[in-house]
Amino acid sequence: MTEKPLRVLLVEDSAGDARLLREMFRSEGPGSFVLTHVERMSEALRHLAVGGLDIVLLDMGLPDGHGLDTVRRALAAAPGVPVIVLTGLDDEALAAQAMKEGAQDYLIKGQIENRALPRALRHAIERYRMQAETDFLRKQQLQLKDEFLSHVSHELRSPLTAIYQFVSIVLDGLAGEVNPKQHEYLQNALKNSRQLKSMIDDLLEVTHAEGAKLRIDPQLTSIPDLIVETVTTLQETATAKEIKLSWDAAPSVTSAYADPTRVRQILIILMDNALKFTPKNGTVKVQSRVSEEDSGFVLVEVIDSGCGILPDMTERIFERLYQAPDTGLAGRRGLGLGLHICKELVLRQGGKIWVTSEPGHGSTFSFTLPIFSLVKLIAPTFMVEQPEHDSMALVVIELGSQSGWLSRDAQMESFQQVRDVLGRCMHSELDVLLPKMGTPAATEFFFIVAATDEIGGEAITKRARQRLSRYGQGQPGLTYTVSYRVMRPTNRIPNESVEDYTERMAITIQEMVDEEGSRKVTTIAQ
Amino acid sequence: MPNKKILIVEDDPDVRLGMQIRLEANHYETFFAGDVESTVPAAQKHTPDLILLDLGLPGGGGFKAMENVKADPALAAIPIIIVSGRTGQETRARALKDGAKAFLEKPVDNQELLAVIRQALGPNETTHPKPGAP
Repeated sequence: MTEKPLRVLLVEDSAGDARLLREMFRSEGPGSFVLTHVERMSEALRHLAVGGLDIVLLDMGLPDGHGLDTVRRALAAAPGVPVIVLTGLDDEALAAQAMKEGAQDYLIKGQIENRALPRALRHAIERYRMQAETDFLRKQQLQLKDEFLSHVSHELRSPLTAIYQFVSIVLDGLAGEVNPKQHEYLQNALKNSRQLKSMIDDLLEVTHAEGAKLRIDPQLTSIPDLIVETVTTLQETATAKEIKLSWDAAPSVTSAYADPTRVRQILIILMDNALKFTPKNGTVKVQSRVSEEDSGFVLVEVIDSGCGILPDMTERIFERLYQAPDTGLAGRRGLGLGLHICKELVLRQGGKIWVTSEPGHGSTFSFTLPIFSLVKLIAPTFMVEQPEHDSMALVVIELGSQSGWLSRDAQMESFQQVRDVLGRCMHSELDVLLPKMGTPAATEFFFIVAATDEIGGEAITKRARQRLSRYGQGQPGLTYTVSYRVMRPTNRIPNESVEDYTERMAITIQEMVDEEGSRKVTTIAQ
Repeated sequence: MPNKKILIVEDDPDVRLGMQIRLEANHYETFFAGDVESTVPAAQKHTPDLILLDLGLPGGGGFKAMENVKADPALAAIPIIIVSGRTGQETRARALKDGAKAFLEKPVDNQELLAVIRQALGPNETTHPKPGAP
């Protein structure tokens, strides 16, 4: 054989097993293997860190490592090196688990034949190499495709702009009087240019979603408000199709911890789809309530009386570029990206999305979003049992613009940047910068909750002032005030559980936040 | 009161003409530049009240053009609205950070464009569209 010797790391604490394996390697003759044998996970990790190995033979029961954990640690220590696990006869289930975690193969001790071992190793390495290559190519292709899509989408915008501009110019009578027939036809052209725009938006959205560039800004978001808003937006479309579009939101459903822009997007896509696949005189209903399965989530359902979905399609429908088979309904099919975008958006906000359907009778698209909970948000601050946690500091930052906000965009951007600045001002990792809890106004409040005393509160306040002053230099007209309040005593009631204590703190914080928010806003806005 | 002046910086002649017709119908006076190089001279010559700026401009792109305008003390205060075929959070964030008043994506809805222009021109806005003008 002219192959290079394989450099094998054997991690095995049982002297007997190690001896057997060593014998097998020895019988292969010199030059085919270089074997390094260690007995501890810690030693194995050192060798893996140094590198220069082709494969690892790993026992899953070591004095300093057990089961799947050993596999994870080995893979993490040397991501490019394939791992074969060694197991006993009765551990095959565990071995299968190990392969799910990323092990290449498993060998059962006592069942390894002499000649089989080297072959198993060489095959494992070859398989690993091919897999890595495939992964790399796949990733590269995906990236190229995203770049291509992104480029095309952007280039399409200029001609589309010109089409939209001139159609609307003629339609608005800026180029002379338009007769009713012309008016109607131009409306068709305009409607189609809008559709084209939304397709381009979808294309871009998908490339962003998969490039992990999508920004989600979770905050206190009223689900009923968004449902009413989106139903109103689509009412005209529904009426034109003679479909009854209605909504119903349980009063118990108040707010989710989600990005309102993204939730609006999800609702529009789902309702739009429902309207598309529901025939004349049908119904589309949107409803929300607290999830029966998990009371920490709000459940939103979009129910239609449309053509329904075949059972084997209910999963596939959320895949990218999925197209409904011919439904017999008139209308354009679109790009097949909407539901895929919905799924991405829901997942990224910590929820789930699924569909149930009875072909011929309609479909119900359901998704969940976490319910906004101050208790959950501040839990990290109060979970650690330390004496200084008897007091709590609430740092209040008020941000405004002397010249008023010129656009909602600029305002949101400033808020986001200030959030980033404040994120770096906190005392410890346990402190929490609360998310946005109100609608945009002339001034915006930010709150930092810290389980600390006056000294800590003062320190955070000082740091926030310094950093904001530096940030404000590049932002003419920006005004801010920073103050803090310490709640004391908020001693734990004897025998009070951490959960109860946290809940009590959440109520206190909510009161303080409400109080700050309702203060007369005095910042001058033009 | 004279009409407010808007400098349209856009390399696509059709899009430029479309904007001109729409803006003039709403009583704005319009001027043009088609690349980065001619942006500052056009602004100096016409002293616009507002600049509509495309990002995909020949000669270095809209960001460069904005930088040049902001670097001239006589022009730095003119509000700039980006009207771009390029989208994405990063582009938007950069535009606003560099001093743009607003960021609009192409194709821009007519009503939205006019609303943002009115807002950026501020309360001294004196242009009143003739009744019924879209």
